[in-house]
Amino acid sequence: MTQTENLVKRLPTEMGGLDAGPVQRTEHEYAPWEKRCHALANLLDIHKIVSTEEKRRGVEALGQEMVEKLTYYERWIVAFANILFQKQILTPEELAKKMEEVAARHGGPKDINTKSVAG
Amino acid sequence: MSQGLGHSLKPLTNFVKAEGADPLFQVGDIVKISMRFPVGHYRVPTYIRGKRARVEAVVEPAAINNEDEGFGRNAGVKRHYYRVAIPLSELWPRYAGSKNDGLRIEVFETWLERS
Amino acid sequence: MSSHANAHTPAPDTGDAVPGYYEVMETAVRELLVEKKVIGAGEIRQMLEVMDTRTPALGSKIVARAWVDPEFRARLLANGRATLEELGIDFFEDTQLIVLENTDSVHNLVVCTLCSCYPREILGLPPDWYKMKPYRARAVKEPRAVLAEFGTFIPDDVEIRVSDSTAMIRFLVLPQRPKGTEGSTEEQLAALVTRDSMIGVVRASNPEMKEKSR
Repeated sequence: MTQTENLVKRLPTEMGGLDAGPVQRTEHEYAPWEKRCHALANLLDIHKIVSTEEKRRGVEALGQEMVEKLTYYERWIVAFANILFQKQILTPEELAKKMEEVAARHGGPKDINTKSVAG
Repeated sequence: MSQGLGHSLKPLTNFVKAEGADPLFQVGDIVKISMRFPVGHYRVPTYIRGKRARVEAVVEPAAINNEDEGFGRNAGVKRHYYRVAIPLSELWPRYAGSKNDGLRIEVFETWLERS
Repeated sequence: MSSHANAHTPAPDTGDAVPGYYEVMETAVRELLVEKKVIGAGEIRQMLEVMDTRTPALGSKIVARAWVDPEFRARLLANGRATLEELGIDFFEDTQLIVLENTDSVHNLVVCTLCSCYPREILGLPPDWYKMKPYRARAVKEPRAVLAEFGTFIPDDVEIRVSDSTAMIRFLVLPQRPKGTEGSTEEQLAALVTRDSMIGVVRASNPEMKEKSR
């Protein structure tokens, strides 16, 4: 009998009834990118491209380690990337190249003083 | 016989509703949450499975199973969700609060059995 | 390391800070979706503007109105979403809204044990603690202990109802109107209604409390 079935049976995002410590009344000012990520989620739902439920399932599918170690919107954006690949709206190659381009605007591999007119 | 304005229509007698159109359960029914373990996605928390609950409200209108929605389904047979009540003392063996304390949660029809 | 925008390039989204890995991902996804016309170029900005108008102040106004207007209160309790839509508050998700009334015999609180469902169209974005393990694990198991951590003590003869949002219904708690507010204006009443009282972890503030705690 497999011992790992509990990993499959219980979603890493399900918390009800688990043992836990006191509520830490932490709050943080949402970073602009986090708000943009939330806005993106709303739009994808409204346009019926990725529903809220699909996003939830996408976050669950990240698995225990990522669910624990990534922050809330970090989980969302990775989940969205995966879902958009599955729906063939984006490809991994496109996203990787665009991420490199975006990173380079802020002093990545390319020379920071070589300004390209950004898109 | 002609029917003018103001006469009500006779109810249709040979009318068959779509599957799932009528709720299976009513307010006050005692139901049991099914005990099953879906792989990949679920919206019924583990802690209520197998428990008995009382139907507090029938959520209208009927809707898609949100567990299927998680995989992109946005059409098909619609059924009802039910807002059900479960005493916390039935959920947690060592519950220390009031015996009147309870959970309220929405559960899709396919997860409920008559109790 | 800072990047200096000039007149011919758009200002970096992060100002002088270098974006982290996930911000780069978000920017890349967004730009690709706009390039492919999956979403419109201005839609994110428009949605951010809509989101900015949803703050706890909106919820506070609704609660204050319900306290002074029994007919509004009755309609709100009968059909939360429809009543709020009449006020021009639109819902961008396919959700319903149930307003949960706190009384002398029932105290409501709201949690989402599976994720972070929250009435965002009314209250805006939820606090971190609402989305994290301690609250989500314990609110359904030991609500009185959780409430005590927020400084809220509910007598044993008051029933606690914990609503776990798992489907398309969102919840707004309608806290009890504090004593000694008979002569208050609606605006004064709204100032007593904190976000946390609409989640149900605290009561509305008393009029003599000078600082509104969030």
